[in-house]
Amino acid sequence: MFNRARAKTANISLVDSDGDYAKAANSVETVRVEPSVAQAPAVPEPVVPDIEIGTLKMKPLLERVTREQVITALLACISIGALFLFWYLGTKYRVELYIRFKNVPTPYEVFRQAIEVGSSTKFLVNVLYSVRRILFGFAIAIAIGVPLGLIIGKYRRVSDLFMPAIEILRPIPAIAWVPMSIMLWPNNEAAIVFITFIGAFFPILLNTVHGVHSMDGVLIRAGRCLGAGEVRLFWNVILPGSLPHIFTGLAVGMGVAWVSLIAAEMISGQFGVGYFTWEAYSLVNYPAIVLGMITIGVLGLICSGIIRMCGIFMMPWLAYAPGSKK
Amino acid sequence: MNTVQKGHINVRDMGVIFGANDNEVIAVEDVSLNVQPGEFVSLIGPSGCGKSTILSIVAGFMKPTSGEAQLDGDPITKPGSDRGVVFQQYSLFPWLSVRKNVEFGLKMAGVPQGKRNITARELLDLAGLLSFENHYPDQLSGGMKQRIGIVRALATSPQVLLMDEPFGALDTQTRVVMQEILTNIWQQFRISVLFITHDIEESIFLSDRVYVMTARPGRIKAEIKVPLPRPRTAEMTDTPEFITLVQELKRLIREESLAAMGPELKTRGLTGFGMNVGPKGVGEIF
Repeated sequence: MFNRARAKTANISLVDSDGDYAKAANSVETVRVEPSVAQAPAVPEPVVPDIEIGTLKMKPLLERVTREQVITALLACISIGALFLFWYLGTKYRVELYIRFKNVPTPYEVFRQAIEVGSSTKFLVNVLYSVRRILFGFAIAIAIGVPLGLIIGKYRRVSDLFMPAIEILRPIPAIAWVPMSIMLWPNNEAAIVFITFIGAFFPILLNTVHGVHSMDGVLIRAGRCLGAGEVRLFWNVILPGSLPHIFTGLAVGMGVAWVSLIAAEMISGQFGVGYFTWEAYSLVNYPAIVLGMITIGVLGLICSGIIRMCGIFMMPWLAYAPGSKK
Repeated sequence: MNTVQKGHINVRDMGVIFGANDNEVIAVEDVSLNVQPGEFVSLIGPSGCGKSTILSIVAGFMKPTSGEAQLDGDPITKPGSDRGVVFQQYSLFPWLSVRKNVEFGLKMAGVPQGKRNITARELLDLAGLLSFENHYPDQLSGGMKQRIGIVRALATSPQVLLMDEPFGALDTQTRVVMQEILTNIWQQFRISVLFITHDIEESIFLSDRVYVMTARPGRIKAEIKVPLPRPRTAEMTDTPEFITLVQELKRLIREESLAAMGPELKTRGLTGFGMNVGPKGVGEIF
C-alpha cells in the first residue's frame, strides 16, 4: 500500500502541476506582486507567499485534492442524495402508485429512532453480535477455503476427489442450511456462524481454485528451477500468484456472508441486526425496520471496504499491473 | 570468475514423441549433442523443430521418450537450481520487487537476507539496473525484464544456463543490444550455456558452436564451429568471417524452414508465390 500511496501522491502532484497549476497561478497572481521577487522561481509549485492569511493558508491542503477527486465525491453525494430524495418525497406525499409508501416511515422518523436506539446499549449489542458472527464465519471460511482451493487448483487428483462433492453442495443457498444447521450444531450461536461460513466459503474456495488455474505456468516453472520445493512453491509462488483472485473471492464471499447471516438471524436468531430488523416488524415498529436495513448496508460497506484496503496493502504491485492503469 | 570445470551437458540419442496412437507426433528424433564446461552453444532451427523441447528436457520440466540428458554424468530428472533457465516469456514474479526477484533463488537455497541482498545488488549493477531494484517488474520494459531474468538465473551460481529464445519477444534494436550485454555477462561468468534461437546472426555472435536442427521431426542437421575471437564485439558482425558463417547457416536453414512450411515447398521453392526463387533461394527468407 505504501508504494501505491506513494505512486498516488506522485500522480496527484503531476496532475496538479498541469491541471491545477493554472488555477494556482491565477489565484496567487493578485498577491504575487511584491513578495516573490526575492523568492527564486526555482520552485514551480505552489508559490504561496506568507503575507495572506485566510484563503491562502488553506492552499496546501486544497492543493492535494485533485479535480478528479472532487468530481468523484460530488457524484457519490448525488448518488446517495438521490436515494434519500426518493425516500423523502415518497413518504412526504404518501405515494400510492402500485408501491405503497403509506406505512413507510419518513427519514426524520428513522433519524429519531436512531437517536433513541443509540442511547441504549441494546442496539449496539445487536450490532456487535452480528459483527462477531461475521468475523468468525468469515475467518473460518478463509482458513479452510484458501488452502483447500490452492491444493485443488494445483493437483488434478485432489480436484477429482473434492470437486464433485463441492459442486453438489454449492448450489444449496446458505438459507436452506438453516434448519439443518439448527439440528447439527449444539447451540444457536454456532449454527449461525456456520450459516455465515457456508455463505462465504464457496466464493472464496472457487475463486482461489480459479486463481491457481489462471496463473501463468511459466512462473511455476521459474520457481521450480530456482530451487523451490513443493511447499515453498505454494507459499512463495502459487499463493501470491493467486492472491488477486483470492481477494475477488473474499469480496464476493463477504457479500454473501452478510446475506446469509441476516437471513439466519431473522429465522433463528437471538440478537443481531437481522434479528433486530425482524423483531421491529413483529412489534410494528416501522422506523426500526429501516434503521436495521441502513445498519446492515453500512456494516456491509465497511466490511468490503476493509477487504479492499487489505487487498491494496497486500498487493501493492497491482497498481502497475497491465490493465490497472487508468 | 573462476575456472569452471563443471557444467557438462550431454544429450544422448534423445527421442520425444507427443500424443499417442493415431495422433503420434515425433517431435525430436535421435538427437545427440553436448555442451562442454564453459562453452556457449546455440541450437538453431525452424519453428516447431523441437528445439525448445530439448531445452525443457535439459531443464527437467519433461522427460524424453527415449535416450537421456545428463549433467556432469548424472541423469536429469527434475528442475534444479544447478541449471538456471531464462524463458522466452517474461517470467519475473510480478508480486516481488526487482531485487526480491533476483534474490528468489538464494532465498530458496536458504541464504541469509543480508548476503542475498549484497549478491542481488551486485548482479543488478552488472545488468545496469541497480537503480530499479525497488521497482516492480510491471514498471519495466521488456528488455529490462529479460536482463533481470538473466541475472536472476545467475544468482544461484548455476553450472549451466539454459536460454529459450530469451530475446524472441524484443524488437530488433533492443535485441542487438541485449546480445552484447549477454556476451559481456557470459565473459565474466564463463559458465556453460545452451541457447535456443531461430536468429542466425544471434547464434553466431554469441556462440562457440552452433547446432542446426532439421524441420520436424527434429534432428541435428549440422554442427558449426564459430572461430571468432573472444570477447565478441558489435563490430565483428561486419567482418568477412562473420558474414561467411551467416551465409553458410542461412543455406542450411533455408531448406529446413521451407520444409517446415510443407513438403511441396522443399522441392519447389517459393516459385509458386509469383516469386522467381529456386529451392536454394537468395538466402533472404530468414
